[in-house]
Amino acid sequence: MADRKPDSLGQFEQLVLTAILSLRENAYGVTIHAKVQELAAPRDVSLGAVYVTLDRLEDKGYIASWKSDPTPERGGRAKRCYRVEALGERALQESAITAKRMWDAVEQAWGKQWAKGWGKRWGKQAG
Amino acid sequence: MGEGLGQTMGQTGGLTPQRPSKLAEAVVAFLIPPASREEIVGDLHERYRSSTQYAIDAARTIPLAIVSRIRRTADPQVVLMQAFALYLSFLGAAWLRDRSFLFTDWALLRLAIPAAVAMLGLILEDAWTQAGPSNPLLLVRGPAFAVCLALLSQASLRLGDPRFALPNWLALFGGAIALLFCSVVRMLFPPAGGQLHQANAPAHWLRRSVAPIDVHGRYSQVIRAAFVLIVLVVGYLVWTKY
Repeated sequence: MADRKPDSLGQFEQLVLTAILSLRENAYGVTIHAKVQELAAPRDVSLGAVYVTLDRLEDKGYIASWKSDPTPERGGRAKRCYRVEALGERALQESAITAKRMWDAVEQAWGKQWAKGWGKRWGKQAG
Repeated sequence: MGEGLGQTMGQTGGLTPQRPSKLAEAVVAFLIPPASREEIVGDLHERYRSSTQYAIDAARTIPLAIVSRIRRTADPQVVLMQAFALYLSFLGAAWLRDRSFLFTDWALLRLAIPAAVAMLGLILEDAWTQAGPSNPLLLVRGPAFAVCLALLSQASLRLGDPRFALPNWLALFGGAIALLFCSVVRMLFPPAGGQLHQANAPAHWLRRSVAPIDVHGRYSQVIRAAFVLIVLVVGYLVWTKY
């Protein structure tokens, strides 16, 4: 498993993996959806799309899941918690490196001044 | 984050728990495949703010949850084998009992309708199958449900547009052969949803763990019996025809 080369990730898969990674021990359906919604803003994300992607990432061996204890605020139902596996971390690293290379190429093509201005605008939008 | 989303502050400042109605939850739970039912119903419960929001959330989540489960339980090769077995069953029934039917208008399409409905029934049955110990009788349950669904579709077609319905004898005869063929295919290639699994086991392990049945093990007698039964049925059909 450790030697397996990860497949490239789709954009939504990257968002879901990033959300699980940043939520650490508190990564389950509702929190992952909220985090993905935050990362994908202003795009609307459905809870169902998150479940489909979680299942697909689990099938690929990028994440693992387990059931927590039932909680009263969920009507006595258990959560399915997720964590990123080593293969998933590698896939996410590769995606981040590719994104960085893309950013560098865009910066080179359109100039550093543009990149600075765009960075400021993006920062304001993201709050 | 996300904790206690189902609670809002009341007018008095205290926490007023809000929860979906039991009926709504029961309907949602029924529509979601059992493998992911608990966590999805729990998540929807936690996100509850109003009945309308709950209904919209459920409507946007349930179809995708079903599709995701089908993607996990349906092996394309086995699905193709079962589809072939189903179509062959109805085609074989027509061939054995009344070949002239095959030369009527839309005959091949009419034969495909119950096969397609039965295939849909098999796929849904696999998605809704609870993980548990494998049992040969449970493997027959799927084909039995699928054939019943195909016969029901024929009954409704007869009420709606009889031109596309099969004659009764053909639907019943084809259904019986389909039941046998599909049961054998599922005994040789058991559906993934019927395997035992642990909650914390990655799903890709579950898929890999579904190995073809051990023909030298405890199923060998069932498989042999099914084959003998098929040979006897086909032999009887050929004997009565010629």
